[in-house]
Formats: sequence, C-alpha cells, structure tokens
Amino acid sequence: MSFREKSAWISLVCLLLPTVAFTVGQHFHPHDAQGHDLVNPLHLVLAILGGFLLLQAVLHLIVVLRAPRDARTPKDERERLIELRAARVGFYALVIGEFVAMALFHAHGRAFTLMNTVLLAILVAWLLKLGSEVALYRRGG
Amino acid sequence: MPGLPIDNRIRRLRFEHGEMTQQQLAERIGVTRQTVNAIELGKYSPSLEVAFRIAAVFGVPLEQVFQYRHSD
Repeated sequence: MSFREKSAWISLVCLLLPTVAFTVGQHFHPHDAQGHDLVNPLHLVLAILGGFLLLQAVLHLIVVLRAPRDARTPKDERERLIELRAARVGFYALVIGEFVAMALFHAHGRAFTLMNTVLLAILVAWLLKLGSEVALYRRGG
Repeated sequence: MPGLPIDNRIRRLRFEHGEMTQQQLAERIGVTRQTVNAIELGKYSPSLEVAFRIAAVFGVPLEQVFQYRHSD
C-alpha cells in the first residue's frame, strides 16, 4: 500500500469519527431536567475538531516514520488522477448537499438547520471524496 | 487482462533484464511501485510519456511493451 493510499485511509477513518460524533451529538446530546444542554455545543465541536486534527497528525506521523522514503516520493500521474476523480465525486456531493440545505432553509426558515445541513454536507462530501480515493486505489486506478 | 484493451509485456521484460523489481523500474520511470503493479496487471493505462519511459528503460520500441487488443 502506497503512502497516499494509507493517508486516504487514515483521513477517511479520522473523518468518520467526528461525523458520527456530530450526528449522534445532534440527536442524543445530554441535557438536564429543564432541557438545558449539559455540554456546551461549541466546546463539543472544538473538542471533536481538536481530536480529529490530533489523531490525523499522530497517525500520519507513524506512517511517515515507518516508511520515510515512501512518504517523500512525489505524487505520480496515477495518484494525481485518482485524486482528481475523487475530488469530482466530492464536488457533486457538496453541490447536492448545499441545494438540500437551501431547500430546508426555505421550508423551515431556521438558521440553525441551515448551518447544520451545510456542515453535514461538507462532511459527507469530504467522506465521499476520501471513500472514492480509497476505492480507486483498491481498484488500481 | 481485465478491463483495458491494452496488453503489456512488462513482467516478461523485467524478468529478461536481470529480474528487475517493480520498485527498481518504478524509480527509473518516476512513478510509485504500486503504479507499476497496476500497469502490469492491466488496471491502469499509463500516459504516453510513462509508456515511452518504460520502453526506454528496456531499450525496446513501444509496441514491444504495449499491444492494443483489437476487438474486431
């Protein structure tokens, strides 16, 4: 497995975790008897973001230290093509997600819904981009 | 070979050139070992430039490395 394929796997897994945490947090956030949030949503988002960045950095560092020469190799034409194809998948997913967000805002008129849908669309688009990269690497190109 | 209509003799040529490894060939043509493997297995068609570089490494014309499979 090349360094870039490993990197795509790491990014995919690392992004899946905050996406799941974000989605679960939206539905099952702990609150007291009066209905007030026990965890500040901003603190939760910052903790998830910090954890995501830290996990990404640590896992990439481990991969680089295990095969430094592989990590230094510049991207070749097949890797660039895979990245472009995957980016195209992510782009279309993002466009669809933004249209869904606009439609929901038009229907409900809540800024909170708009913000969450846009954020979710970005996460899903990024996941699809990384998932496509992994699938294309597995397929060969 | 599955998928692409292009066959290649890279594996045979590597064997005939002192059992050159995929890694050695990859370093000489400026791609990763995984890309050489994908080309050998017919999963990826290289650019014309890389195809010519492969032929140059083995010192043979391009058509001795890659052959187009006509469907008719």
